[in-house]
Amino acid sequence: MSQCIVVTSGKGGVGKTTTSANLAVALARMGQKVVCVDADIGLRNLDVVLGLENRIVYDLVNVIEGECRLKQALIKDKRLPNLSLLPAAQTRDKNAVTPDDMKRLVEDMKRDFDWVIIDCPAGIEQGFKNSIAGADRAIVVTTPEVSAIRDADRIVGLIEAHELPEPELILNRYRPGMVHRGDMMSKDDILEILAIPLIGLIPDHEDIITSTNRGMPVAFDDESAVGAAYRRIARRLMGEQIAVPDFTDNASFWNVFKRWMGIKGAQEVIG
Amino acid sequence: MNDLIRRLLGRPAGKSGNDAKQRLKVLLVHDEIDLPPAKMEMMKAEILQVVARYVTIDEDAVTFRLHKDDNRGVALVSNLPVRRVAARA
Ligand SMILES: Nc1ncnc2c1ncn2[C@@H]1O[C@H](COP(=O)(O)OP(=O)(O)O)[C@@H](O)[C@H]1O
Ligand SMILES: [Mg+2]
Repeated sequence: MSQCIVVTSGKGGVGKTTTSANLAVALARMGQKVVCVDADIGLRNLDVVLGLENRIVYDLVNVIEGECRLKQALIKDKRLPNLSLLPAAQTRDKNAVTPDDMKRLVEDMKRDFDWVIIDCPAGIEQGFKNSIAGADRAIVVTTPEVSAIRDADRIVGLIEAHELPEPELILNRYRPGMVHRGDMMSKDDILEILAIPLIGLIPDHEDIITSTNRGMPVAFDDESAVGAAYRRIARRLMGEQIAVPDFTDNASFWNVFKRWMGIKGAQEVIG
Repeated sequence: MNDLIRRLLGRPAGKSGNDAKQRLKVLLVHDEIDLPPAKMEMMKAEILQVVARYVTIDEDAVTFRLHKDDNRGVALVSNLPVRRVAARA
């Protein structure tokens, strides 16, 4: 059965687009047919994170207005033929799309894909309502900051009000060293407040920045510990029971030192 | 420290910043005129077709790009080298 997942957060800049791109890549690398939809109309971004910005001809609004067929607007990733992108319109009014339009579009895509991943815009207005309209399941992304968690809490309530199942949490930009020193809320602190299941823990990591610079999501990188964390989230989405490691210990002096020395068995394990 | 790990893992370090800059420049010009790269390719193909109805162009030597001028905005700069017709006997 195909599934549509919306990746949302309330607050902007917490990692929805990064998460959407990486989960799409990770699922596609597992042989799943995946389409990733940029629902941020007017502020297109997912194309750049996926490195597909040079291939856009049509967009989501063109499809909804009947100016082209869905197949014409989908961009197939040449690195990973299982993965397609439906880009957002860059210069259209975001009210050009309604929740009913999105529902129909998602139903269409579910016929051809195993996974439809919707990258939701920030906020709780039209763009959010459109993004959740066709979703079967929601992932809430937050960072370990007061404002982000407050918005996440609000979003969890809205998702439940829309009769979606309980959302799952991705905690992004986690800094175990700071948690260790007591300068950042821990995973457990945050879970206690939000009270939804954790599906992934992603550290604040420079691999995200370099991979985004290149338009090559880190989930493609077999050497990256962050890439591995995204691939584990994909397996959890597929129903595998894999515990989310508590990697606070990774940041302890001895572990950092052992990794620095390149000692085997001291690889970073995260999320 | 991360550099050391990277070197140990044999991964290239650095220079993704430059990739980012190049990609961004292209992106901003196309955004400014609301013409995505793939659509520009379509326009190019159409223009070449029209020109080819009148003269023979050397397709391999064609250049076609957007040029961003500091004060005058974006210009489409193209060079379509025309093949000389063989001298008639
Ligand atoms: N785990 C992370 N480590 C480092 N930088 C990150 C991480 N997650 C996101 N970022 C950076 O944060 C910024 C916002 O991320 P983005 O995915 O665009 O957020 P959103 O879609 O929620 O607005 C981007 O510059 C991204 O590269
Ligand atoms: Mg975004």
